[in-house]
Amino acid sequence: MKKANRVLLTLKYLFLIIASFISVFPFFWMVISATNNAREVNAGKLTFGTHFAENLGNLFHSGLNFGPALGNSALIAAITTVLALLISSVAGYGFEIFRNKVRDRVFNILLLSMMVPFCALMIPLYRMFSAAGKAGFTGIGLNTMFSVIVPYICTAFLIFFFRQNTKSFPKDILEAARIDGLNEMKIFTHMYMPVMKSTYAAGAIITFMTSWNNYLWTLVALQDPQKRTVPLILSAMGSSYTPDYGMIMTGIVIATLPTGFLFFMMQKHFVAGMIGSVK
Amino acid sequence: MKGNRIVAAILSAAMIVGMTACSGGGANTSSAAANSQTADKLTIWAWDDTFNVKAANEAKEAYAKINPDASVDVVSMAQNDIVAKLNTAFESGNMDGMPNIVLIEDYRIQNYLKSYPGVLSDLSDVTKPDKFMDYKLKTMTEEGKVYGVPFDSGAACVFYRTDLIEQAGYKASDMENLTWDKFIEIGKAVKAKTGKAMLYIDPSDLGLIRMLMQSAGKWYVDADGKADIANNAALKEALTIYKKMESEGITITTSGWDAGVSAVNESKVATAVQGCWYASSIKKAADQSGKWAVAPFPKMSNVSGAVNASNCGGASWYVIDKVPGKDTAKDFLSKTFASDTELLDNLCKDISLVNTYKDVASGKNVNTPDAFFSSQPIYKNWNDWTQNIPAVNYGTSTYDIESKMTEAVQSIINGASIDDTLKNTQTEVEGIVSAAG
Amino acid sequence: MSGNPNTVAKQRQNQPNRHSLEKRLNRWGWIFVSLSIVLITIFVFIPMIGALIMSFQTGKGVNMHFGGLTNYIRLFHDQTVGKALGNTFVYLIFQVPVMLILALIISVLLNDKNLKGRTFFRVAIFLPCITSLVSYSLIMKSIFSNDGIFNQMLANIGLSPIMWTTDPFWAKVLIIISITWRWTGYNMIFYLSGMQNIEPSIYEAAEIDGANFLQKLTHMTIPLLKPIILFTTITSTIGTLQLFDEVQNITQGGPANGTITISQYIYNLCFKYTPNFGYAAAVAFIVVALTMLLSIIQMKVGGKENQ
Repeated sequence: MKKANRVLLTLKYLFLIIASFISVFPFFWMVISATNNAREVNAGKLTFGTHFAENLGNLFHSGLNFGPALGNSALIAAITTVLALLISSVAGYGFEIFRNKVRDRVFNILLLSMMVPFCALMIPLYRMFSAAGKAGFTGIGLNTMFSVIVPYICTAFLIFFFRQNTKSFPKDILEAARIDGLNEMKIFTHMYMPVMKSTYAAGAIITFMTSWNNYLWTLVALQDPQKRTVPLILSAMGSSYTPDYGMIMTGIVIATLPTGFLFFMMQKHFVAGMIGSVK
Repeated sequence: MKGNRIVAAILSAAMIVGMTACSGGGANTSSAAANSQTADKLTIWAWDDTFNVKAANEAKEAYAKINPDASVDVVSMAQNDIVAKLNTAFESGNMDGMPNIVLIEDYRIQNYLKSYPGVLSDLSDVTKPDKFMDYKLKTMTEEGKVYGVPFDSGAACVFYRTDLIEQAGYKASDMENLTWDKFIEIGKAVKAKTGKAMLYIDPSDLGLIRMLMQSAGKWYVDADGKADIANNAALKEALTIYKKMESEGITITTSGWDAGVSAVNESKVATAVQGCWYASSIKKAADQSGKWAVAPFPKMSNVSGAVNASNCGGASWYVIDKVPGKDTAKDFLSKTFASDTELLDNLCKDISLVNTYKDVASGKNVNTPDAFFSSQPIYKNWNDWTQNIPAVNYGTSTYDIESKMTEAVQSIINGASIDDTLKNTQTEVEGIVSAAG
Repeated sequence: MSGNPNTVAKQRQNQPNRHSLEKRLNRWGWIFVSLSIVLITIFVFIPMIGALIMSFQTGKGVNMHFGGLTNYIRLFHDQTVGKALGNTFVYLIFQVPVMLILALIISVLLNDKNLKGRTFFRVAIFLPCITSLVSYSLIMKSIFSNDGIFNQMLANIGLSPIMWTTDPFWAKVLIIISITWRWTGYNMIFYLSGMQNIEPSIYEAAEIDGANFLQKLTHMTIPLLKPIILFTTITSTIGTLQLFDEVQNITQGGPANGTITISQYIYNLCFKYTPNFGYAAAVAFIVVALTMLLSIIQMKVGGKENQ
């Protein structure tokens, strides 16, 4: 019995180590590449080089405003994440506290919104924002923060995610609270939100990452080069006839840090038995 | 208790960012609106920091001496991103935020001229037809009007490694007036003597097929824009050559642009048959300096009208008509890229530009030899070859057709008959062309 | 969940209250979901109607005019659509199950309180998600290129090389490997966070009863995670039907459209080829129809026990 356990344990660690190695390797190579020059990157050099400072210098002096782009991206992703989490979690909870046929149907229709490839929606969406701008509402027209954030602050994806997680929420706590006379708003803010911490953590990671990497809509909606976000700058660098991969990789490494940091901060909420402790 | 604090934190964060968003958005919009109303403010879009963006910046400096009041803003963007933005704006009919001047690839321009008439300005009074190479002008002419200012040449040529060719028993003189038969013969010798491939091919990029067709004055469509696949002798011969090189084992197959460049830089191939702009990719391997030379494009001996010249890629400058500042934009182009020989000659030195402006041929830099390429006067050569490039009608749908053609080429390589495959492709291409028209 | 005996008993006792509670909850429910409904309607459904109208139009920009079913008819003759659909389904059938099972196994292993180096493993397995596609496609191409590391290894053990990027079959395998690599960690997050909502006392009770690892997995974790598994299945299906980035970066849809996906074809129709937004919209609605069909099936199969 004990021996079998040890074999199982070894296998478990072996599996995780292999999976981690495969997962980390391209990331590791990305970091290595940031220290090499373009040709070495293209040839797949696997050792650290000496070009990091040079790459970094090129990156921030390339005339492509990489620094300001980092700020733009961070602002857009932060606002989107906070708003999306609030709005979607409220809806996910709303769909689950009381279910009737109509609301289930409404939910299914909302799910439909996930299924349309974005390319197809782009022209109508562009026309809509452009019309808003032309009608005098310049604050919500094209080329504004509003236009790149607001289409993403409420997604069926996130509502779905919160709804599915709400299903395992211990309902008897809710019943008790209701009998104690708490209204639903209070229940949501005082009981649901703290208990669902790990769900919020996962939602934050995913939303931030999606927003941080968002490309096509940001590209089309933002017209001022000063407002460009990191993915647009990286794309501009990559399209040169002779892309400087050393510099691009350095940019990419920097672009990875915020999501990585957020994940690192949030992952500690994935601790078994969270509910027990709150209860 | 704990819940309270979390909620408070989230709400206050939301409020703060919400407020910044509104104020930020408002301020930025008003400044953008103010910008677009000033007629002397020009915006230019181009896509390569080391090449056409740099060219636009040098033109900006030159223009500042002529018109110091104008402020020119050169924006570097990915080519695909420029296309995405143009397509969205043109399709929606909203030109806000569009640039005054934009660089558009020659393969794409017919589509914009035909699909969105009136969007680009008529530049007939800026571009003097006798000053530019014919093949280039043809791409941007629609109903007798010239809509662009030609920029770079894509003169096709053979870049070759002198050391490898010599090891195979051939000399530089063998590379002059090449035919494809000779090219394959040399390729076999290179393979036998050095073990290296003659060139790389990428099954998803039919640049070589395009170059072969254009060297005989043909394209996927005919002069009227109709599908020309099944009965296109030049295309058939091009495919025959392509297949022969593959079956003789003198090629290596790569996937994607970078893999191709890497094959060249890492000495895996003896030649690269490309547009002249490929020189900058070859030069990335600094240790190969002096080992490279350039020869004219090989001729297809079995096709009538085929010559030792062709083209691959290239782009030109266009003015978007409805963006305020049109007249300044035209003035900018007419005083820089459309006439300034000194600027164009300097660009030859600074960004290795091969011009399509005829007068630059006598420029100092154009006639300077390049040490990397065995001290050959490569710019002069390319300039001469550009004059012989046959003019073709690229039509509106080069990239759609090419996507279908990659499938055809794949099945031909796998053994399908060229005639049957092209017959099928003809039908599909007719569908594409009629949908585009 | 409504099966909790305490709750049912309480509700029975307060029969008259129950009705008013139901009403109150119903009202709150609608209030909670209303903002989302408004937002999604404005930013997805209205543009969607716009796209639907466009799918019946032909021509360009200002010259757009009603073309009836022209675009839909063209669709059925378009061999690339067939090819893209075929590829997409290959990815769907092989990749989604493998990825989800892998993610589930990893999550279960990482949810163990006694596991050493948990944080490291979590971060490591999540890293592909944030690793830029550019670097990842460059490295994939350099590992799997025709003379890359992988083929050199094959050669060392006497096997013939595999044309990963230039053979249509192996290129698809490469794409499947790449998507699995990139999205397993992503799905792991959903499972990990879902597992935190399971009460540990349930496991403790099972452990006292002598349940082994496999029994706990199949009898407890999977049933309790069912809502999340359904969620990941549906979202991964949708994600795969809209697959774009990996293919665009690693093979550009090649060789000879051998790996092209529907979403990539739509993108090409809008931005690579001669722009034809009407036709692109028509192709998009085919994707919508297929996704709907698949999601309904998945809901029917996976949703039963949630009722």
